[in-house]
Order: sequence, then structure tokens, then C-alpha cells
Amino acid sequence: MIPGVVRRSAWLLPGAVVGALLFAIPHPATAADDDPRAWLQRMNQALATRNYDGMFMHVSDGRIETMRIVHRVQAGRVTERLTSMDGSGREFIRSNDELTCYLPDKKTVLVEQTQERGPFLGTLPQFGAGVNEFYQIESLPNTRVLGRSARVISVTPKDQFRFGYRLWLDEKTAMPLKTQLCDARGNVLEQIVFARLETPDTIPDAELAPSVHTEGMRWVRLSPREALPVDSAGFRASELPPGFRLTVTGAQMLGGASLPATHLVYSDGLATVSVFVEAGTDAKGPDDKVDAAQAPMQGLARVGSGFVFSTVVQGHQVTAVGEVPAQTVEFIAHSVKPSAGSESTRR
Amino acid sequence: MSDPIREQISAFLDGELPDTETELLLKRLTRDAELRESFGRYALIGEACRGTRGSVLTRDLYVRINRAIDGESPAVIPQIAAVSRPASWWRPMAGAAVAAGVAVVAVVALRQHVAVAPTLAASQNPVPAASAVTFVPAPALANANVAAPSLNPNEPVSYTTPATLAEAPLAMPAARLTNYVFAHSKYPSLLGQRDVLTDLMVGSEDQTVPPVATDKSP
Repeated sequence: MIPGVVRRSAWLLPGAVVGALLFAIPHPATAADDDPRAWLQRMNQALATRNYDGMFMHVSDGRIETMRIVHRVQAGRVTERLTSMDGSGREFIRSNDELTCYLPDKKTVLVEQTQERGPFLGTLPQFGAGVNEFYQIESLPNTRVLGRSARVISVTPKDQFRFGYRLWLDEKTAMPLKTQLCDARGNVLEQIVFARLETPDTIPDAELAPSVHTEGMRWVRLSPREALPVDSAGFRASELPPGFRLTVTGAQMLGGASLPATHLVYSDGLATVSVFVEAGTDAKGPDDKVDAAQAPMQGLARVGSGFVFSTVVQGHQVTAVGEVPAQTVEFIAHSVKPSAGSESTRR
Repeated sequence: MSDPIREQISAFLDGELPDTETELLLKRLTRDAELRESFGRYALIGEACRGTRGSVLTRDLYVRINRAIDGESPAVIPQIAAVSRPASWWRPMAGAAVAAGVAVVAVVALRQHVAVAPTLAASQNPVPAASAVTFVPAPALANANVAAPSLNPNEPVSYTTPATLAEAPLAMPAARLTNYVFAHSKYPSLLGQRDVLTDLMVGSEDQTVPPVATDKSP
């Protein structure tokens, strides 16, 4: 373990591992079957451990994109393929620890070794007990999606520091037929809707093979690099929104930077906010002109369904990023101070 | 977009479109770029009504990726590799495989951008709108104790309603913001990572960088 590194807590164990453990435990039909949290766990488990082949639409930021996902678990080996159906022909294929991105429109293939086991479709964190304090997780009346009976789960934030979810889970497989990210007023920020979803017992290799012809394409292979040292005595948030706590401390070399940035991760068990702290640099280039890429910044931006807030604290650029409301990233960024003291949580 | 198509999409998003019609709609959407664009405009109606179009990183990122890959030279690749891989203890939980791959592509794009356009980075000229992200003053901090209304599935909601932003924007290099977003995207999320992923999966049919919005909220 790298000195100064805080390991993620138990609920951040890879979903596939947890899913596999849960999968091994029989689930008798009990009252617990109606527990919405149990349903969300089943969803995570299904996403990581089931075979599935489907087409979905991703609606976000005024756009709609159609993609096909094929996910197979066979003899402990996870292979999945994500294909754009909208013209580019781009495909991402993950086979255990290798991720290959086929970009035929750019005649390029990118290959990276990964250590993750998480599915392309993503999962929710394993909810800790504290989540109930800040989210109301409840079952809503069943409905039908794709001609199937769907269990509807609502994850509603209890304050305006976080977003919520609504999920329509297939009653038979627990696969998410439809997923929405919502703000505190219930407005949908982003959603995934399956138009077709099958869960076959077997998936032939051909369905997981790239359809891209790679002759003449350039291959770019990217290898792992060593861990960066962590500035464990550096900046921390001195105050946090209710329920948030520091879960990861690390360092990361951001593109274009000459020094590693401290990367702090704060989570309430569901929402996650990253804070990057960068040492002040001379923003002037070699010709004494201001380097816009490194100049100090202050303000708020919306990125996808989340927000970024950046400010300067004692000569350091502090930037908070997360799929949370604007006030959350602003609150956290403003509270960052050059001290290793523990954070207090706002009540 | 014709009313029947709009009604079909609406019914689909509400889970009320019959399977047979869903298949047809899907086929039509995958074939018809114009229809997809029309749908995009349709989904933007809510935003337009509110005048709340905020910054849009995604298309800009998409263009950057394409430009970078187009101009990539072998000499740059080792440099890319040196910065593209987070340490193993950064490895997140489920869903991060996507983020890792996306981050690689982003770094390729951004590093290459720096490499091929050093004069741009060092320029005193304002960051062009096409490569900048709008920054706006944050809204007042909300009262943390205010309980949010319950999400009522029976209430009609807009399909994609972005949060409200307002006031005069500040410019921030998109490359810099992209680095933050991708570094963060390694962490668990059910939808957010796909927002990034989707952009990388989108085809090259639309390389238009949207203008940076300076709209004010009503």
C-alpha cells in the first residue's frame, strides 16, 4: 500500500466481487424481496454477473444516442462489447483486464490494460447504512417496460446537496430496463432506456468479436505507470455537506501539468465528489505570455449532468467535480484549506 | 419531426410504446441521423424555454479527440503512456473500466493537443469559444435542511432538463476541465460515466462544437 493512501472502504469493493458473493447466496421469497435496497443490490449483481445483449438509448443534454451492449460471463471470464449504432462504428471491448477501443473513423485502435471488473453499464455503490439518512429509498408501484413487469425504485435525496435516481428493474432478472438521474425536484437530467434486452444463457464468441476491420489501422497500446506519492499532509475540506466524508486520498498527474495534483474523493455513500488541489504554477509561457491552460480560474461550469467549481486557495487551484448539484461542489471547494485536520460535517 | 414520431419517442421514454413499435423506432433512429438531431432539438425544448443552456464539454471533447487522433505521431505515444494510467490503488469499483478507457482517450487527445498546438496554449489571446467551457458564478448555497419534494412518477417531467445556470460566463480551457472530469469519472456512477462514454462512441457525423452559452436564466 502506498504511504498516505487511504484505501476505499468496504462498500467500494468491486461490484463484481460483491455481486458474485451475493449471487452464491440463495434468495428465498421473503419479505426482504420487497426491500428496495435489496433490489438495487440485485441490479448491481445482475449487471456484473449476468449474460445480456441489448440496445439502449442514452438521452442526455438534449441528445439521443443508440448503443448495443453485449455482456458475457463465462467460466469466470467477463467479456463485454459496446457498439455505437449511430454511424461511427466505434466499439469498446473489454475482456477481463484488457480494454480495446476501436475507432474505425479514425483508423485507430487503443488498447489499455485495466484492473477493473466493473461492467460498461456501471453500477451504484453498495449502499451503506448511512445512505438512509440522506436518501429516501422506496419502491413505487410496479409498471411495465418492454412488455415486462418492472419494479420501480426511487432514490430521492432528502436535501439539495445530491441528485436522485429512478430505476425500472426487470422483476425477473433485476436488470435496469430504464434508469433516470433526477434533480431534487424530480426533473430528469439524464436517462438510459433499453429498447431491447435479452438475457440468454449463452452468448457465442461471434457476438463479442469486433465488427471493425483493423487492417491498416494504427494500434496504440498504453501500459500502466507507477503510483504517484501522496501529499498526505496537504489540503482537505474543512467542512462538508451532510453525510459526505473523505473516502480516497491520492495523487494524479493531470494532462498538461508539470506537478501531480492531490486528488481527494468525498462521498455520501452514493454521490461522489472529486477535489483536485494543484500547486500554484507560473501561468506564463516561455515567451512571457499567459498560459491560458494553467491560469488561475474561479467559477462554476456544468458538465453533463454534474458540475465543476474551481477556486484559488492560498495560491493553489482547488477544483471540485461531481454528479451533484452546483451548491455541493461549490460548498466543498470553498471549504478546502491547507490543513490535515479532519473535516466537520454540516448539520 | 412529425407529431407521430414525437409521440412515439415520448411513449418510448415513458415505457408505453409497444414492443413492435419500439423496434421500428429504434431502427429508424439508428438509420436516420436527421431524426436523431430532430429528437435532440425536441429534447432541448425544455431547456430553450428556460434559457438555461450551460456549458457543453462533450462535443468539444469529441472534436478534440478526433483532432488528436488524426494528428497523432509515434513520438508522442510514450509521453501519452507516461501520464495515462492512474495508479493501481486508484482503481475504482464497478463501472470504472469504461472510465479508464475513456480517460486514456481523453489523455491522448489532450496531450496531443498540447503537443501540436503549443503556441495556442501560450497565447495571450482569449481562449476561443470552441475550446473553452463556460464558467458562471455559482448560485447561492441552498439551505441544506430544505427537504426536496418527492419524485412523483405520475407527474410529467421533461426528458432532459439541465440545471439552471446564470450570469456572465468566464472562460476555462476545455482541455483542463476535461482532465478533471475524466479523473473523477473513475468513481462509481450509474449514469454519469456513460455521459462521457457516449460521447466517445458517437460517430463523426457531427463535429460541430456548440457555441458556449451565455444565456441568462429567466
